[in-house]
Amino acid sequence: MTRRPPISRRTFLKLTATVAAGAALAGCAPKQGSTIPTEASVTRINPTIPPSPTTGINTTGSSTAETSPTETSSNPEPSSTSSPAYLAVVHGPDPAAITRAAIEVLGSIASFVSSGYDVIIKPNICTDYHPPEYATTTNPTVVGTLVSVCLEAGAKRVRVMDFPFGGTAKSAYAISGIADAVEAAGGEMHVMSHSKYTKVDIPQGRDLHSVYIYPDILEADLLINVPIAKDHGSTRLTLGAKNLMGVILDRNMMHMNLSQRIADLTSLVLPTLTVIDAVRILTANGPTGGDLGDVKQMDTVIASRDIVAADAYATTLFGLTGSDIGYIQACADMGLGSMDLSNIDLREISLG
Amino acid sequence: MSWASWRRIRQAAQILFFVFFIILIFAVVQKRVAPPLADIFFRLDPFAAVGAMLGSRQWIPKLGLALLTVGVTLIIGRVWCGWICPMGSLLEWVSFRKARQRAETISQRWRLVKYFLLATSLALALFGGLTLLVFDPIAIFTRTLTTTLLPALFYAINSIENVLYRVDLLTPALDGFEGLMRGTVLPVEQPAFAQNLAIAALFFGLIALNLLAHRFWCRYLCPLGALLGLLSKVSLFRPVIGTACTQCTRCAIVCKPGAIDTNPEDFHIMPSECTICLDCMANCKPGDIRFRFLLKPAQREEFDISRRQALEAFATGAAGALLLGTDLRLREENPWRIRPPGVTDENDFLSTCIRCSQCMKICPTTALQPAFTQAGLTGTWTPLLVPRVGYCDFGCNACGQVCPSGAIPRLPLEEKRQAVIGKATIDRNRCLPWASGMPCIVCEEMCPTPQKSISLEEAQVIDSNGQTITVKRPSVWRDLCIGCGICEHYCPLEGSAAIRVYDA
Repeated sequence: MTRRPPISRRTFLKLTATVAAGAALAGCAPKQGSTIPTEASVTRINPTIPPSPTTGINTTGSSTAETSPTETSSNPEPSSTSSPAYLAVVHGPDPAAITRAAIEVLGSIASFVSSGYDVIIKPNICTDYHPPEYATTTNPTVVGTLVSVCLEAGAKRVRVMDFPFGGTAKSAYAISGIADAVEAAGGEMHVMSHSKYTKVDIPQGRDLHSVYIYPDILEADLLINVPIAKDHGSTRLTLGAKNLMGVILDRNMMHMNLSQRIADLTSLVLPTLTVIDAVRILTANGPTGGDLGDVKQMDTVIASRDIVAADAYATTLFGLTGSDIGYIQACADMGLGSMDLSNIDLREISLG
Repeated sequence: MSWASWRRIRQAAQILFFVFFIILIFAVVQKRVAPPLADIFFRLDPFAAVGAMLGSRQWIPKLGLALLTVGVTLIIGRVWCGWICPMGSLLEWVSFRKARQRAETISQRWRLVKYFLLATSLALALFGGLTLLVFDPIAIFTRTLTTTLLPALFYAINSIENVLYRVDLLTPALDGFEGLMRGTVLPVEQPAFAQNLAIAALFFGLIALNLLAHRFWCRYLCPLGALLGLLSKVSLFRPVIGTACTQCTRCAIVCKPGAIDTNPEDFHIMPSECTICLDCMANCKPGDIRFRFLLKPAQREEFDISRRQALEAFATGAAGALLLGTDLRLREENPWRIRPPGVTDENDFLSTCIRCSQCMKICPTTALQPAFTQAGLTGTWTPLLVPRVGYCDFGCNACGQVCPSGAIPRLPLEEKRQAVIGKATIDRNRCLPWASGMPCIVCEEMCPTPQKSISLEEAQVIDSNGQTITVKRPSVWRDLCIGCGICEHYCPLEGSAAIRVYDA
């Protein structure tokens, strides 16, 4: 039996050079592609929004936040009862039921999810310190229900992710109860890897002009932002816009000018749907919590296509208004949404 | 069953234990929860057990399992070395062709070194110093994997991924790989350890010594091997060359640890050096090497430690203890000597910690780092908490769970959360709101205690535009602070943090 001669050094080097050249060529091309998501995501987000009061705000960045909602609410489209609400506030003892109801009030899940969509849900899973009763992480039932709703509407895949600052992703996912809820609903918990973060320009940014961001967030067909409403030392409250800090790599630099930079980041990410979990809220010692005495049962879910409106409403649960929170004001100033609750179609319902 | 098949079984056992050891390493890497059996190799290690028990002057039940190894050795010899020890297996597998000839030029008397090292280590331990436990083979291997080999592996994987992610075509495959591995096998944060070069140098140096002789470390240096070797001298069953021997020396040629004395006057197997690998039995032409039941202790070898040498070793250990114990580093208030959670007394810690680095391996934030001289030379490669590198996770008590000797107490999570590791102090001359009038309260945000250990007070300051702005200035409630170091870790100030944890 003749043995095949081993590969010669020359052949090996030739092969290596060919492969390396191929990789180098392939590697050069998408370099420009990696900066594209900025525009691509913006253009992709807008078409997914059905004709609703939000559209005016999202497309016309120059128009002031106060005027556009007044315009749209003055000419309501079809019948007022079945038309999608601008902001849904649903109260009730069953977190799953109020989550579903909130989506319905906004005009059914079909207006958000089309068949084959790749959905990302971004809850607040900030630490691995406490179980959900402590209201430091988003209610697992709310997250699980959103996963179910998306899959029922034909989503191809629903991933849930956050980047905790206390503990590892896996442990935080487990302690928060979100891993169990999501996996039971058929979604996947995704661990955000350092290797993937990409530098992206923020065209509308006023102070923050580029950021290393987890690219999947921008590439998803639908991004649902699911913060929990809770106390926060520097910004007073952490809500929807603040929750977006979980998708970037360097959070330290954000603190230099926190309110404006959160608004700048919001202008880049601009989630299609924000669902604020106020089933339990944390009223003090946030965002980390740990004392059940600081937790208040509110049995409420707030949802809107307008992250600013949702945040502004959530502040009222703490006896504040949107303008009390720096980043909400900054977002409104940038025209990212409306924090004036008096002029929007706010629909509040109570279930059992 | 023939000796050849027994030898196969031994080789299978070596591979099995080695793989088990590596699996345990991966199972323990940066997890918040200790897997069962995480410290099993250390618990079976009588050198670590005797050292820790002598040093801390107490019976450590967890390490009592080492009696099993002692028992097995008393029955049949150094089975540990030839069948189980992952370091020994590795050294057996890394063999160089010329090592056997070279070994013949090395005097047998060098085998004394291991006994001397053993006696010195134990004498030092008797005086409370466990410094020489850094030479425990399981500790060497674990420490090297933890601080150098695995971080290097993760770095390589991350680097390759970084390049491959630029190729769009490969993104789905990489995402699949990431989804599977990240957070489970691969840590999210790239680990990095102090002292990694020194630790790697020791490990690779020991492997390089294999150039001079097969299993050089096991023959001449290993203190655990020395301990088991002494026990093997009185083991009940010992391999003995029978009368059919033709002195063909085939057995000596195949013997990796060189345990066969080929002196024609006294051709015999030295039980203290034999790792029960069975190679000689499988290769004996007349087939006359077999286990004999013996009650009489084995004969003295020329390299055995004499009473005089034992006393010398003891004196060396004692002198070492005196010198190491009078190190200024142990006397002065050392602000950076922050120990893992639950450790209260530095001296107790130094005399119980077996330098195994299991805690560094499991720490999810790589906060625990091997010390160099921060705790004196006596504390070399003991764990220090370095908050700027990583913080003590409020939701984690894993280090105490994997600590084989209990140097880090095994605290329930609720107790660990109250264990004071140190105290944070703010440097108002550097803190952004205090020194520069810039808004920043990251420390307060991160503080994990149920009632924040950092309070904020509002102050009016003038910013660079001449505008009066309100900033919140942080202060530490000393009575609440547990010194977890998350404030120091996340302090956005460049260089060293403006809030630092000091040993308390």
